[in-house]
Amino acid sequence: MTHHHASRRRFLAGAGAAGTAALLSGCVTSTSSGKSSSKGKVTLQSNLSAPQAKAAMQDVVASYAKKGSGSASLNTVAAETFRTQLPTYLTSANPPDVYTWYPGSVADAYAKKDLLLDLGEVWSSPDLKGYSKALNSLCTSASGKKVFVPTTYYWWGMFYRRSNFAKWGVREPKSWDGFLDLCDKLKSKGVDPIGLGAGGNTAWVASAWFDYLDIRINGADYHRELLAGRHRFDDPEVRRVFDRWQELLPYFDPNGTAVAFQDATTSLLNGRSGMMLIGTFFADAAPKDALDDIDFFRFPVIDPKVPLAEEAPTDGYFASARTGRHAQVVDLMRYLAGAEAQEIYIKGSSGTVLPCNPDVKDSGTALVKKGRAHIEEAAEITQFFNRDSSDALQPTADNALTKFIAEPKQIGSILTDWQREAAKIWNA
Amino acid sequence: MSATSAALRRRRAATAGFHLGAGTLAVLWLLPIALVLVTSLRSFDDIAAHGLGSWPHSFTLSNFGQAWNDGGQQRALINSLLVTVPAVLVTLALAAMAAFGLSRYDLPFRRSLLLLMLGGNLLPPQILLIPVSKLSELLGIHDTLPALVGVQIGFGVGFYVFVLHGFMRSIPPEIQQAAVVDGAGPWQIFWRIILPLTRPALAALSALSFTWIFNDLLWAITVLRSDTKMPITAALIGLQGQYVSMWNVIAAGSVIAAAPTVIVFLRFQRHFVAGLNLGAVK
Repeated sequence: MTHHHASRRRFLAGAGAAGTAALLSGCVTSTSSGKSSSKGKVTLQSNLSAPQAKAAMQDVVASYAKKGSGSASLNTVAAETFRTQLPTYLTSANPPDVYTWYPGSVADAYAKKDLLLDLGEVWSSPDLKGYSKALNSLCTSASGKKVFVPTTYYWWGMFYRRSNFAKWGVREPKSWDGFLDLCDKLKSKGVDPIGLGAGGNTAWVASAWFDYLDIRINGADYHRELLAGRHRFDDPEVRRVFDRWQELLPYFDPNGTAVAFQDATTSLLNGRSGMMLIGTFFADAAPKDALDDIDFFRFPVIDPKVPLAEEAPTDGYFASARTGRHAQVVDLMRYLAGAEAQEIYIKGSSGTVLPCNPDVKDSGTALVKKGRAHIEEAAEITQFFNRDSSDALQPTADNALTKFIAEPKQIGSILTDWQREAAKIWNA
Repeated sequence: MSATSAALRRRRAATAGFHLGAGTLAVLWLLPIALVLVTSLRSFDDIAAHGLGSWPHSFTLSNFGQAWNDGGQQRALINSLLVTVPAVLVTLALAAMAAFGLSRYDLPFRRSLLLLMLGGNLLPPQILLIPVSKLSELLGIHDTLPALVGVQIGFGVGFYVFVLHGFMRSIPPEIQQAAVVDGAGPWQIFWRIILPLTRPALAALSALSFTWIFNDLLWAITVLRSDTKMPITAALIGLQGQYVSMWNVIAAGSVIAAAPTVIVFLRFQRHFVAGLNLGAVK
């Protein structure tokens, strides 16, 4: 009996030791062999989890398979899960091949860590010849490599409901003073002139106001440098942004930082608020019968000497540097950059996005045509606060802006705090 | 005469107050659930036009179909059950055996073992996310359901051993001694005497662990990567768009996702209460 026990115990100990040894050797070998397999479909990790966008992506992947040069397997992950897991995906031993994400400083941060595939081969294809210079530089990393393939973008503007503006007898303003007059007039009619929607989990919407006031007052170059950490948030230039914002604060919806942007959209559509600085994605939150009634105007120019800049966040794809399917990835990327894929996507999705490829027809609605012209008139394009800086800097802006809207008098100390928080992230 | 009627009146008032208070609490408790149910029956255009908190202007059942088919909840529900059922069974089997050994025999280091299990429970799971993710990659089981089952077992077993140990220790030693006198070995004592006596605790724990594992999201998105393998919780947040969320479909999806745990709870409800009481009074 005792002998039996002893042998079993020894067996278990031996098995445990063998298992540990296998694990440890796994640790050693895995670091050297960080490549995904070279066979099978290209894996496309997508964060487009909204039903319409997801279906549109499925159409794109299906038509790519029909073309016959290769095939991809689409893997849609909830947008929020994707955002938090992306670094894990990219650093894992067997990463997905292609990812939906953002160009600019966000992609550059990953490129600096050598996690992104050099897509120079894709950019040399004829499909990408027509891409604008701005997109070219946006997709180039600091070390001069092309790391991103852009496919669509959308724009931000002051959106309003045409029938409501007609009812109140007001028009789109042409200047900053005209904008203030408009706000006054709306307020006198008992309407909250400016809706915000920076409550709930969409505090980031307020950053659009900071971005726009900064690119109107200090210009896009200064704005990008500021977000990259080459200026300070407690500089007098930034202070001027908030001085201007203070003029507008009385016109903001008092519930601006209490309700999420989707509820703010409902208020706008029902005429409780007059207009909203928002991206075109908000049209997805509107009932179908209201879509034709939605219009927008350009964020008013404050200083005509500052080159006209607009926010037009670009979406697209990058690929993992550790992919084993290099040739297949390049082939898929070329397809995604081409006219056919972008047309299919725009047709299937909500239709308020614009294609990056100039040969592609957009959805052709009046709103989209106006949006395309709106962006083409701009001399400079910015992405958005988090895309021009980093996801880590966004919460510092959310904090500072929410505090500012609640207590505008405290702006001095708010900016000092913001600078301190931001410095921690820039120096990390 | 008047004194007794005053006392009667006071007692009546107290009863009325109690019912009123308890009723209000119950309504407050049920209000969010009612809101989810109502939202799940409204159309998106209705919510977009009138807001989430407004009185419903529409009635539709299509949200459930949309969540089930387009939202991939059918596949996700199967995945969830494929993870939860084996995980609950294996965890409880392992925990019962471990608790039996630790509570009924004078094993060396049993105090430190129990403390280790308790200590493991005090460790926040967040700090283990990256190690677990990397380890599952090294073992080649990343992005597979067995990996998730393994993780759930590993993190559950400590707590269940602790609870079952406390329960089994309260079973009188005379019962076991009688069995030994009758010639039963350890396995027979475990299987035919201790385990049947532990049934209330096991039922309570299985309802608890089913709920915990079924509702887990953190480990699922740490270990899994493919949408075809994700459990119901991950599919539920997948219904949220990048910018705009269709609250009606999400509400319908939540109702679907909540159904299995509600069924399990109702099925084990009796044991659940009994299991909590037993061991409290000796």
